[in-house]
Amino acid sequence: MNIAVCVSHVPDTATKIKIGDDNKTINKAGVTYIINPYDEFAVEEALTWKEKAGGDSKITILSVGGDSNKETIRKALAMGADDGILLKDDNPRDSMGIAKALSKEIKSHKFDVVFCGKQSVDYDAGAVPQMLAEFLDYSCATVVVALKMDGNKIIAEREVEGGREVVELELPAVIGAQKGLNEPRYASLKGIMSAKKKTIEEKPAAQAENLSEIIKMYSPPAKQSGRILGTDASAVPELVRLLREEAKVI
Amino acid sequence: MIIKSSTDEIQNYLVDASNFRGYCDAIYIPSGTMEVMNILKEANNKKQKVTVAGNGTGLTGGRVPQGGIVLSTEKMKNIIEINSEHKFAVVEPAVILKDFQDKVREYNLLYPPDPTEGNCFIGGTIATNASGEKTFKYGSTRVYVNKLEIVLADGDLLKLERGRSISEEYKLNLKTESGKEYRIEIPVIDMPLTKNAAGYYCKKNMDAIDLFVGSEGTLGVIIKAELKLVPYPEKIISCIIFFNNEKDGLNFVFDARDKSYRTRNKKSTANIDALALEFLDENSLNFIKEDYPQIPANVKAAVWFEQEVNSSNEEILLEQWMQLINLHNGDEESAWFAANEKEKKNLEEFRYKIALKVTDYLAQYNVNKLGTDMAVPNERFNEFYYFCTEEMKKNKFNYVAYGHFGNSHLHLNLLPRNESEYEKGKIIYKGIYTKAIELGGTVSAEHGIGKIKTDYLLEMYGEKVLREMAKIKKQLDPNLILGYGNIFKESFLK
Repeated sequence: MNIAVCVSHVPDTATKIKIGDDNKTINKAGVTYIINPYDEFAVEEALTWKEKAGGDSKITILSVGGDSNKETIRKALAMGADDGILLKDDNPRDSMGIAKALSKEIKSHKFDVVFCGKQSVDYDAGAVPQMLAEFLDYSCATVVVALKMDGNKIIAEREVEGGREVVELELPAVIGAQKGLNEPRYASLKGIMSAKKKTIEEKPAAQAENLSEIIKMYSPPAKQSGRILGTDASAVPELVRLLREEAKVI
Repeated sequence: MIIKSSTDEIQNYLVDASNFRGYCDAIYIPSGTMEVMNILKEANNKKQKVTVAGNGTGLTGGRVPQGGIVLSTEKMKNIIEINSEHKFAVVEPAVILKDFQDKVREYNLLYPPDPTEGNCFIGGTIATNASGEKTFKYGSTRVYVNKLEIVLADGDLLKLERGRSISEEYKLNLKTESGKEYRIEIPVIDMPLTKNAAGYYCKKNMDAIDLFVGSEGTLGVIIKAELKLVPYPEKIISCIIFFNNEKDGLNFVFDARDKSYRTRNKKSTANIDALALEFLDENSLNFIKEDYPQIPANVKAAVWFEQEVNSSNEEILLEQWMQLINLHNGDEESAWFAANEKEKKNLEEFRYKIALKVTDYLAQYNVNKLGTDMAVPNERFNEFYYFCTEEMKKNKFNYVAYGHFGNSHLHLNLLPRNESEYEKGKIIYKGIYTKAIELGGTVSAEHGIGKIKTDYLLEMYGEKVLREMAKIKKQLDPNLILGYGNIFKESFLK
């Protein structure tokens, strides 16, 4: 089985994001980057599939971006993936630009299945897996929390508003992984060492025009501090009144 | 200043993470030095007990009052200065350790003392000479305290700077801001050759500041501290290895420990030199298994290590660690390796989880903590570990054993389910600390004595030494108002 996993290199979820001076990008000073958490589920799923399929199954990691993305590709290699390809472009791309670059590369291989995170936690557009499937003419399921192989078919459970939806897909397919799909493994020491020795293939990302533009980036309004109404039972009536009339929660 | 006295408001101040409980009349929350001085002056005149409270994360009842008032430092929480050129920071006592560490990180600096609980106040870590995982390489809090400002029991202010007031052999002179002088006799004792947080620090030609670090709120109230910082390491590798045999896990720790010491002696940078070297036994792993289903089946022990690396030595060091893991039959395939900062934090949390679960367990069964905090000299640790675990098995008592094994420091937590089991556990515990003392160890390596370990301290140092330590306390606090019940039993203060 020939498997692809698309990974994105994003700021650590614990990082305090500061807006850059241009009000369009973030200030990257002091920001540590990690593999997009949803992509970790995608890598783990690919590893499980490879283990099940056995034989000469292979996992290829793909990422669009600058040199620093290699760190994230290496992380996926350390978890157990086989090859890595960096589709290089130092300029920022929107979902369309990324999906086009990925689809061009994926077309030149014969992948049975392409795993992605359902979205990346930097821009949160959640659009790449669907666009990719469209460009490749693959079937597609996103926000997937459970997966089963059944011959040439896949049974996927998707998280939808208020419940779950079970869909059947034919291979080849693009899968967008949601939290809950699996528990990603840690890289082993051996994995780390062999990942260091692997070469990551570098190619220029296919040209594609961005269709969207960031006009302005701003922080959400600061949380207002709480109000202390009193420190004993006498404050309760006022608290109830405010919860009812002002906060409108009861 | 805020004063709280209604039952609802003071509840949180009457307990700490050991579940030890107390009582008091009121909580005083000063917002600055003058207010602290005034509270103490007044209390001293009235001979009223004052218990200094940090964030309540302690494990020995140190902040839990036994009557009188509580002085909570919680409003004094400013980071006054971070000086990246000379690598120090000036803080008030209620700065939360974890926030402080995050803040100095922005300056690419590190504050190494890192007790497992990051929500503690820095004041509390100084008062108990806190240590933790990283003490194996960096040493305990004491090493990082450059200057202290302390309000003494009578409200007088004492300013100390490391290197400025050294005892002449065992005679120490202190001079307060108002000009008052104290001539203190330091007891002549041999402190254990382990990390140690039991009783006052006493040494020939010692620095006055060291008397106050680890004095558990019995000598004064810390209101300001200047702390030493170090450059943040370029990169830290972090790994948890699982072993199918407990002995292999222990031998791995001992081997890594000895290798680390050799590396430091040689001042080499391309050899094994662990930052942290932690051990978790099978019971500990089972205790957290529901939170970490990825723990491999049937493992008998786990070891967590960290090491500083840089781009030029990383590969060679990974190679060395791998060889060491293989040598001791560690399961290299199942080891968890942190590939980035986030995963490194996850591994820290894994180790911390066990301590948190013990605290939850105590609250659930409403029993007090019965956990060892003993360290023994390295060459005796193996003997100590097997003595303790055999005692537990012999008595069929539930327990978890984990801790800073690189420092020969064991946290064996007994897990009683009710008061009668607790009483039975206390007897086993006594056997364990007696053994630690016999092996030349300490009854408290990092948590301090507080109120629940005063008996053990007496056992460790004997009555004569304790009376000499109490003499220092009586000189600085003649009305015995501060930290009542900490370190000394009442009979030693009469």
